[in-house]
Amino acid sequence: MSSNLHHAGVKLFKQLARHADLVMDAYLAGSISEDGRDPVVMEKLTQSGILWRPDPESELRLKRSIRALLEESLSDERNRQIDANVGSSLATIKTLANHYKEAREHTDYGAAEAYLADLSEHVYSFTDSLRYSIRVLWSRINNEFGYVGSLTAKIRENELAQSQVSELLNGLELFQFSELAEIAGDIRELRRLLVTTLQESLSDCTQELSVVQGRLLELLGRFRQIRGRTRLLKGWLLYNNLHPDYRPVDHVAHNKVPQLFNRAEGLLKPAAVDVRNTTQEAELLALVSKVKSISRSVLPHQPLESSAVSLEQAEDFDIPDNPLKLAVEEYFCQVIDTGRSQSALSYHQQQQLPWDTESWLYQVIGEYDGLSEEHRRYFELEPQGEPHPDFSGNFIIRDVELWLA
Amino acid sequence: MSDIQQSQSSATPHQATSLLIERLLQGEFICRTTDEEGWRALKSGSTRNYIEQFLNQINRTLASAGEGEVFFCGYLHLGESERKVISSQFRDICNGLVPLVEWLVLVQEASGQDAPLTEGAAIRLIELQARIDETPAFKEQLAKLSHYRLFGSTSSQSEAQIKLIFKRLLELGYLSRPNSEKQIYIATGKIDYLYEVIRFIDETEGLSLEAQAETASQKDLL
Repeated sequence: MSSNLHHAGVKLFKQLARHADLVMDAYLAGSISEDGRDPVVMEKLTQSGILWRPDPESELRLKRSIRALLEESLSDERNRQIDANVGSSLATIKTLANHYKEAREHTDYGAAEAYLADLSEHVYSFTDSLRYSIRVLWSRINNEFGYVGSLTAKIRENELAQSQVSELLNGLELFQFSELAEIAGDIRELRRLLVTTLQESLSDCTQELSVVQGRLLELLGRFRQIRGRTRLLKGWLLYNNLHPDYRPVDHVAHNKVPQLFNRAEGLLKPAAVDVRNTTQEAELLALVSKVKSISRSVLPHQPLESSAVSLEQAEDFDIPDNPLKLAVEEYFCQVIDTGRSQSALSYHQQQQLPWDTESWLYQVIGEYDGLSEEHRRYFELEPQGEPHPDFSGNFIIRDVELWLA
Repeated sequence: MSDIQQSQSSATPHQATSLLIERLLQGEFICRTTDEEGWRALKSGSTRNYIEQFLNQINRTLASAGEGEVFFCGYLHLGESERKVISSQFRDICNGLVPLVEWLVLVQEASGQDAPLTEGAAIRLIELQARIDETPAFKEQLAKLSHYRLFGSTSSQSEAQIKLIFKRLLELGYLSRPNSEKQIYIATGKIDYLYEVIRFIDETEGLSLEAQAETASQKDLL
């Protein structure tokens, strides 16, 4: 019996492998047309229960079991089938448990073992399908029902998922562990399956389902908010079209102004200098002259280049005094030392100074005029010469006489 | 040495806070899109308290909208002159509602989206313009709304119209343009503020705008 089954199963998988392209085409398109396909192949696939025809007019489709296999193995997000029929699974489990108990009582160990294997399969596949359902729900939540386009479709999908969650939760409530414990009695194998395994998985799943439910509600809220905004905008335009004279009520006239409308006027206004206004030129120049540094904080900050700075003693330097100026100072000192008046030209000859007499006289006059008022009062400088013979008002200086006042 | 380091970093915490206060006093809306650092600072209790205390000294207070995601500066106590300011601002907002809503609907429909523009959503001006140019109804809509006083376009070219609208929206703070070399605009939190204003008016005046829009769209389907 089992070798027959094994053989048939392998044959089925080989058939699937041979026609993998066709099966996937049917999976993706939903149905498959027979045009251009080998009728023999189609017939064989129909016979082995891979394809079926829902009604004589329609095209061939994949059997639900094959679809489910693909959906699950490929984690296809379009899959929204959830087996929420907890009640029938529960009934099957109870029935099998009773079969097993009866076989044990009749000491028919062969049958009992077969029933137990069957029962384990049912329990495990039940918890597995429950977990699978939750996984499917999560994947739909995680991509925010991205497989449908419009917002209303997303809201509908969300509502479908919510109804599936509540159905699952309602189904799980059918499990009465006291009843299962009673059925299991003191049979160890049954207790392990019906009480320990089931209870653990069910409490896990119930918890997770309530999280799923919360997330679904949250998502629905967001979808509705987005839809609400769209409707708000459309409604606003509609209302304004229908009531062209409509003006909003003065909501800020109340004693208590809603926080929404309590907006302070800009205290700091963006300012700019009118550089073309000539009347402000003087003030602007005064302002600019006071600017010590310009900080452009709005400009993107540029990291300062680091460069080595060596701190050294500033090098000494001085500006050598003009020797002519020094000689003139010498002349002034001599007038002070001797206390007598002295002609600049005679001093020049005495000292055999190298500069020409005109420069010398200019420097002496310049030095005298350059003295501070206080110092100048100690000296008297008298130019000696004659008026210009042709041009009145011009005085030609031949020499200057300097003495202490 | 520590002085040098401080002056090198672009904004010390203190500087950042004073910049933030400055922006608030300029009447700007602070949201995640326009000023993420400032927005974070306002979300944190200590900076917020500090700023609130500062503002309180000059009869200002920190106000928020859009479920606490947008911040702006309001008056702490309302006297006669403050009320006048608020009244005139309310009038400005109300006058701008129809043009702005028409623009929002146009952007949503032209870009074929389910959701209207919200904070952080990007608009590519070139793409939007191409889509509007393709469809005469959108073009007409654009021409109509660009001539509202809020935008004040006098041009008959759709390109000039849309550019002017975006320029005005930038000035008004509804959009920001992170890169001045690119024609990509990001909606700011002030857009969310706008929704809240409409919702407020809707709820307070009992206009039931959403229900009206729904019945209208169902009639369209029939």
